[in-house]
Amino acid sequence: MMEEISLTSDYWRKLLRLDEEDKEDPLKKFNYPHRFFRPLFYSIFGVAARFYFKIRSHGTENLPAAPPYIIAPNHASSLDYPAVAWAMGEGRRKDFYVLATKHFYDIPFTRFFMKVAANVERIDTVDDFFPALRAAVRILKRGKSLYINPEGTRSTTGKLLPFRPGVGILSVELNVPVVPVYIKGTHELLPPGSIFPKPGVADVYFGKPVYMDDYRPKLKQENAYYVYKEVTDEVRLRIDELARLQ
Amino acid sequence: MADIEKEVRSLVSKIIKIPEDKIDPAANLFYDLGVDSLLGVEILAALDKKYGLNVPEDKLRSISTLNGIIALTKGLLEGKRK
Repeated sequence: MMEEISLTSDYWRKLLRLDEEDKEDPLKKFNYPHRFFRPLFYSIFGVAARFYFKIRSHGTENLPAAPPYIIAPNHASSLDYPAVAWAMGEGRRKDFYVLATKHFYDIPFTRFFMKVAANVERIDTVDDFFPALRAAVRILKRGKSLYINPEGTRSTTGKLLPFRPGVGILSVELNVPVVPVYIKGTHELLPPGSIFPKPGVADVYFGKPVYMDDYRPKLKQENAYYVYKEVTDEVRLRIDELARLQ
Repeated sequence: MADIEKEVRSLVSKIIKIPEDKIDPAANLFYDLGVDSLLGVEILAALDKKYGLNVPEDKLRSISTLNGIIALTKGLLEGKRK
């Protein structure tokens, strides 16, 4: 029976096209002109984050010294990405990428600001999960860091939604650490449906990274899906712990 | 081919962690039995590994029942023999 359940990760790797070489530089597409406005955007955001809606950063010492790594926060507000990117600091921000669902990316106004604020790629998670994972693979394989909301969508209540196993698949197969992040307060500052943030306080807590050394050997003992799920569950547990400690 | 049916049923049961006798072969694994859609990928991955089938990616979303998985396995095995 052992043979039946082992090494299914080969098939996942094939689906992710993980061992294929990129025909062209997958990061070239992020060189759009919007990026020239990024320093200005984060300068303005920084002023607002200090004096209007205060954003406090905690635990940046937990971030790995160099990319690639995955930043996995809870998601309850459109303010989450810029809050995390700002909290990480400019040095880390330049190597930081994010995938955005077509639902938001296809709105011209939203897309403009997404491209100003981030190295962003459009994905279609509704119709197919694998192109989104492949886009993530291309970014991580180039040694960049990636922002992924494991919930897959924004929580309308501020409560944590079930996690999808994409974070686990990517981190295990690419041997990339995952940094669990708890964002507190952005839901109150900018709830879904609002355009302009309210004054108030939000906190970004970076937890200790989940490294893959204990998980990757398990691919030889159990179905790959359950290893991916174990990592995803661990990330969720750590975000829960960060939330409980505050 | 009856053996294949038995093997696939046993394999699916072990992967989704539901006893064989609790799986209605016509039931939708995802909606009726609450199986995660990515566990469906794991089933195809296990079949790929066990029978060397090279299960095509476009089959990922078309398989939703145990009967469907058995039919796919038989079809791919026949195609392999030709």
